[in-house]
Amino acid sequence: MMEDLNRQRRKVLKGAISASTLALVATSGLLLPQQLLAHWPSDAFNAETVEDALLALLGKADIADDSALQFKVGAPPSYAINGASVPIQIQSDLTNIERVIVLVEKNPLPLVMSLEMTSACKLPFKSMIKIAEDSPVMAIIRANGKLYKTTRFVEVDIGGCA
Amino acid sequence: MGLSEKDRIRAKLKAGDTTVRVLLSHPMHTGRAKNDADKLIPAEFIQDIRCWRNSEEVLSIKCGTATARNPYFSFHLVGGQQGDQIAIRWVDNLGAKGTVETTVI
Repeated sequence: MMEDLNRQRRKVLKGAISASTLALVATSGLLLPQQLLAHWPSDAFNAETVEDALLALLGKADIADDSALQFKVGAPPSYAINGASVPIQIQSDLTNIERVIVLVEKNPLPLVMSLEMTSACKLPFKSMIKIAEDSPVMAIIRANGKLYKTTRFVEVDIGGCA
Repeated sequence: MGLSEKDRIRAKLKAGDTTVRVLLSHPMHTGRAKNDADKLIPAEFIQDIRCWRNSEEVLSIKCGTATARNPYFSFHLVGGQQGDQIAIRWVDNLGAKGTVETTVI
């Protein structure tokens, strides 16, 4: 009799625990659009060198230099007066582009942005970035499972990464 | 800051493809700058931007602190037609969110 009661008690307890964990998960926002935040790769964005950022973002991978990737930085290209807002433009004839990554080598945190593209999305992509000092700027594209990279050197008059 | 200004978006059909241009209104503090009182301004920057076309997610942009203030993006979507709904949603590191929508013209 006593054992039977105990068993029931256990069942009830177990049920209560799993119900409360479920409720916790639900309220913590894991199932809500807030999961946007959870997907931000903080390791990669907080990395202080280009190598670390790429390692965190892509893992170990060979990157081929590719001049077919058109990449413009600054206006006029290769020179920017104000580093706080430097225009960039990425264009390429590659197909099946899955990812585009922009890095500025001498910024305190080199990784600027990482785009995840679906087949419905297409280059050219334009944006504005901050550049701290004269530095190479790198664009990396992942297409058909391969990585392509191109670099431009940009001079800035006023650093813009404070 | 930024509250009085609005996010802007334009989407236009051009040669069969949709061109989307977005200008978000956000200070994008890196956390390294100092204000007039020589105190560090805490980091506040957009981390995640996503774009939907007619409830289909087409692009996601992850940003670091080095994206310029009042971020501007321009990209192309394959195909599309007039009247398509384009929506952008963003989240910053403090959890602030914004949505901006338009129809393709």
